[in-house]
Amino acid sequence: MATTTISKSIPVPKKRTRGLTIMVWSIINARTLLVAGCFYGVLFALLLAFLYPSISQANLGTYLSSGLISGIVGGHIAHFSGFTAFLGLEIYSSFYGLLFGGILAWIGGVAIPLTIENGTIDLALSRPISRTRYYLESWLGAIICGAIIGLLIVLGVWIDTFIVNNADINWQWLWITQLVQWAFMFFAVGLGMFFGSFMNASRAAGGAAVGIIALAYLINTIGQLTDKISWLLKIMPFYYAPAIDTLINHQLTWWYPWVLVVAGLILGIAGLVVFNKRDLPTV
Amino acid sequence: MTTQEPVIVIDKLEKSYGKIQAVRGISMSVERGEIFGFLGPNGAGKTTTIRCMLDVIRPSAGKIRIKGLDAQRDKLELHQHIGYLPGDVRLPGTMTGKQVIDYFSRLQGLEPILLNDLVARFNVETKRPMKSYSKGMRQKIGIVLAFMCDPEVLILDEPSSGLDPLLQRVFNELLLEEQARGKTIFMSSHIMSDVEKVCQRVAVIRNGELVTVEEVEKLRERAGQRVTVEFGDMVTEEELTRIPGVIDVTKNNRAYHLNVSGSMDPLIKSFSRHEVVRMQAEEAPLEEVFLKFYEEPEKVTTTKQ
Repeated sequence: MATTTISKSIPVPKKRTRGLTIMVWSIINARTLLVAGCFYGVLFALLLAFLYPSISQANLGTYLSSGLISGIVGGHIAHFSGFTAFLGLEIYSSFYGLLFGGILAWIGGVAIPLTIENGTIDLALSRPISRTRYYLESWLGAIICGAIIGLLIVLGVWIDTFIVNNADINWQWLWITQLVQWAFMFFAVGLGMFFGSFMNASRAAGGAAVGIIALAYLINTIGQLTDKISWLLKIMPFYYAPAIDTLINHQLTWWYPWVLVVAGLILGIAGLVVFNKRDLPTV
Repeated sequence: MTTQEPVIVIDKLEKSYGKIQAVRGISMSVERGEIFGFLGPNGAGKTTTIRCMLDVIRPSAGKIRIKGLDAQRDKLELHQHIGYLPGDVRLPGTMTGKQVIDYFSRLQGLEPILLNDLVARFNVETKRPMKSYSKGMRQKIGIVLAFMCDPEVLILDEPSSGLDPLLQRVFNELLLEEQARGKTIFMSSHIMSDVEKVCQRVAVIRNGELVTVEEVEKLRERAGQRVTVEFGDMVTEEELTRIPGVIDVTKNNRAYHLNVSGSMDPLIKSFSRHEVVRMQAEEAPLEEVFLKFYEEPEKVTTTKQ
């Protein structure tokens, strides 16, 4: 063992830029789900391209115009034809919200509790780092995960255009649809951050956030079967992310995505307030 | 901060978790350049106090000032000068030691100027992922993280737990060197022999209440001496008990074991009236004094506040 001694004349340590270190590690901590989200997004997009020649022969119009199926996919498809319709059905239906929204709700939910479990939060907050900064960087990390997943899905769709002949994609509306879905992801992340702000166990926080998304999906599906509970639909996040209508019918009520953005912001900020006030537990 | 103000001032600190009072109005202060030991049994409130000092948990009442700064209000400025070692060093299993060091050095906003010294001294492994580290190896990384940016105040929770005796000695040397460089060190510990070696003063906390704040030297005096004596003639236990300063007497075959507090003069004078065959005197271990504080309720006494 070395027997060095610390010199008595040590210069003052040089300053070092902090950058967005917490955000970077927040993304690294979420890498498994991030990779899974990207993988499934690209896989679905590419599968669609390869299956399109076969499935486009089937007459799915009647089937998809039923109330039940509309509820399940999260939108009515009046004229079902062309690659865009299949794209909307497979990638931008409510399943998209359930799967990718669920992934992001989990990523947001575990962002803070995971650092409680792995012990880094105590050490990080004993540095000159405020809780607000810690929380905001974690939040930003989860949002960037959503942005990456969305971009890779669009990349998958772009690759589709080389595989499918005459893919009738209106890129302007595809990007608008993607923005709608990003608004949904933003909401899901905010929801997760809120649960993670006061829960200590990552699985509990992530699970609670995903549970809310799954419940919202179920209510959205059931709600479309009858007009009697249409009010219930209006308090569900899926109602404000009508991606199929946007992509296929080129229809969007402009303020719908903003409802999701504002709701996500409110949840995220509520989580920030809670996180700033609470005692952090020992592991 | 005025020059007279202690570096750490804890004033009537209270912390409750619902109905459970973890810390009950403790007050103490630590001077600049002092190594201060904070002792107490498990669950006494040591870690709670330390976590209040770092604003990881918020006090129910009372104030903590470090370097003249409020531990809650001014924490960002304050934490630029603090090195902290948690009681249980847990780090992400996938990060390597090097990544952990880089991460926390970035968060500190300072270059880890003592890193090479510390890595060499403690023989720290930095290339493997943390999940392959033993408790002792994680503790070494924790020590590096606390000291590497050369902080002025070190808050250490059970710093030598998990270290082998050789590394404990290296760690004690490090503490004394840092003290010589003017650093203030506040450390909780269970290893009383280490506390005895490095601390100038200790506070003992039990059930959230401060039992004593005492200079280690005074505790040593209080601990007194252990005397083992064998007589050639007849001496009774009652006679030995009556000698001023003798606290208790036990007999083992022909030998008497006495605990003596204060001056040995009355004991020696009393022994001179008898035939002493063999006599051995040694300082009583401080551990017994500490354990006494742990066990018996006693009024708070302070030598320096």
